[in-house]
Amino acid sequence: MVQPLSGQAIYVVLLRELKRYWRAKARIISSMAQSFFFLAIFGLGLGGFLGGFGGIDYLSYLAPGVIGMGLLFGSVFSGVSVIFDRQFGFMKEMLVAPVSRTSIVLGKILGGAMTASIQGVILMIVAGLMGAFTPTPALVVGALSAVGVMLLITAGFVGLGVAIGSVLSDFHAFQLLATFVMWPLFMLSGVFFPIEVAPFPLQVVMLFDPLFYGVELLRWCLLGAGTLILGPFGWLIAVGVLVGFAAVMVGIGAYLFSRAQV
Amino acid sequence: MTKVFDNEIRAVDGISFTVDEGEILGFLGPNGAGKTTTLNMLATLLRPTSGTATVNVHDILAEPDAVRRSIGYVFQDPTLDLELTGRENLDFHGRLYSLKRDVRRQRIEEMLELVQLTDRADDLVKTYSGGMKRRLEIARGLLHHPQVLFLDEPTLGLDPQTRRSIWEHIQRLNQDKNITIILTTHYTEEADYLCDRILIIDFGKIVALDTPDNLKARLEGDIVSLAFKDPAKMVKIRPLLEEKDWIRRISVVASDNSHATMSHMMQMMRGMSGGVGMGGMMPGMDSGNVRGGGKMPQRMRQMLAQSMGGEDDQRGLEGGSKRLNLLVDDGGHRIPEIVKLADASEVVLESVELHKPTLDDVFLSVTGRNIRDEQGSFMETVRRHRIIRQARGHRVRG
Repeated sequence: MVQPLSGQAIYVVLLRELKRYWRAKARIISSMAQSFFFLAIFGLGLGGFLGGFGGIDYLSYLAPGVIGMGLLFGSVFSGVSVIFDRQFGFMKEMLVAPVSRTSIVLGKILGGAMTASIQGVILMIVAGLMGAFTPTPALVVGALSAVGVMLLITAGFVGLGVAIGSVLSDFHAFQLLATFVMWPLFMLSGVFFPIEVAPFPLQVVMLFDPLFYGVELLRWCLLGAGTLILGPFGWLIAVGVLVGFAAVMVGIGAYLFSRAQV
Repeated sequence: MTKVFDNEIRAVDGISFTVDEGEILGFLGPNGAGKTTTLNMLATLLRPTSGTATVNVHDILAEPDAVRRSIGYVFQDPTLDLELTGRENLDFHGRLYSLKRDVRRQRIEEMLELVQLTDRADDLVKTYSGGMKRRLEIARGLLHHPQVLFLDEPTLGLDPQTRRSIWEHIQRLNQDKNITIILTTHYTEEADYLCDRILIIDFGKIVALDTPDNLKARLEGDIVSLAFKDPAKMVKIRPLLEEKDWIRRISVVASDNSHATMSHMMQMMRGMSGGVGMGGMMPGMDSGNVRGGGKMPQRMRQMLAQSMGGEDDQRGLEGGSKRLNLLVDDGGHRIPEIVKLADASEVVLESVELHKPTLDDVFLSVTGRNIRDEQGSFMETVRRHRIIRQARGHRVRG
């Protein structure tokens, strides 16, 4: 059944996501702190030991990955929050209204992508203040493009979260989700080490991680073209993969949401 | 309309009724009787297995959006966003129903005023009391000026004072705005106080539909209610009473603490339906041997009785006692005779009460069960609830 989309409905669901995000200060602070610890302890500690990769110091190498981590966790979490909406009953309020479920889920995904990207921007600023990026005029353009990349990355992962949240009946399975989905996605994305230092089988697995392309793009935006591993047109491949991933995940998420239980 | 879940549970079984404009109709029935399922079908959240309905001249199958626009639905479980303020919850609703900015603002003020929440409007809903949340939900259900309002157990779990004030709100809405109201309840006094007509529903079927007065008038005579010093000895007097032709019906009912028992069961049910399946706890519960309207197997009854701490469901609830209710012609004049019978069978009476039939008595007479005394059908109810809840999800309409 094709349902008409309502801009107003998408907007109001999105607005709710933003309001809720803004109120959950503890969540914002703890995820920022977590990323900060990664940067400070790994970046400075491990960096002192490793030096860096390919002429970039380790803190700079690490920063885009840590931003990617914030995006990943923030967006999957906000997608999975459909479970809370269901558990606390608010879902019914949305479903009995004369608007399509597709509008509701698109609002949810857009809202989630925006909140997670806001988080990413904050992390980018924190990393910048810690000296991860060289302040040049190019960095301004890079940072702005990075925001676009963040929205692309998060749209896909909020879609994934909504899909998972629509299938899971309660929140107990969330721990499993974190262990078996989020952490591997994070650690395989080339946050800590470049793909070329990994053994071949691991490299293959890493190439299947959509976040790997996201982190590659962020690194390219924030640190410059020299860092691209996928070749001179690597950014095009990465953008292609992320657009495809976002389209597929939003589609699956919207579909599963539409037929989920109340 | 009929709704069958999993080809097995006939949650709503061929019901048909009309509600007049401006009327308050109450669905009275125990948990699992099919009240919420009926409302969900009328609200287009569930598709009927067969049959259809017209809400405010719109067909629920052909024009679901028009139906949704003309109804307000206050769900049984809370559906507010606790992280938003009261005003924001209303604002969200107004936007979802495409109310223009000015209209929205004005109506939000109006509704807050109506349910007396104006001074708490900008506090987060999580700081509200149960009654305030309920009032806010009612306000929200009315914000888009529905012609028909569905209230699913509007006062469930509220204290008597709050309940009374919600009743007053509901009546005022009905009178001032001529809103047609369909509510479900398993409190007979609520149905009696609020409703123009009452529809008694049991195992998905309508067993009675009439005004409260007419329903009560069906039971001619009086109820004489006997309490015993030793309830176990009740069995000694019962055969003697059964011989008397002026006693038209004898039934055993739980006395005073029925409310406490009921809420205890509600809690148990909540816990059970929320994720933990009954299958592991109660072997045999999942084998599908309960059909709509069927009797509970003896084994289950025993297990249930054991788990509840009693030996037999005919004898004492925990901490409570049973009374014997007699439906008697001209009850006042028969009391001396009943007392004599008690003396003759050496049973000590603790008290004798005489009252006109209430809706509780009506419910008992049309269903053969006491609406408060849910013990007998408790397990079955839990099971029906669980199946319905699970099944609902797969068929919910978008």
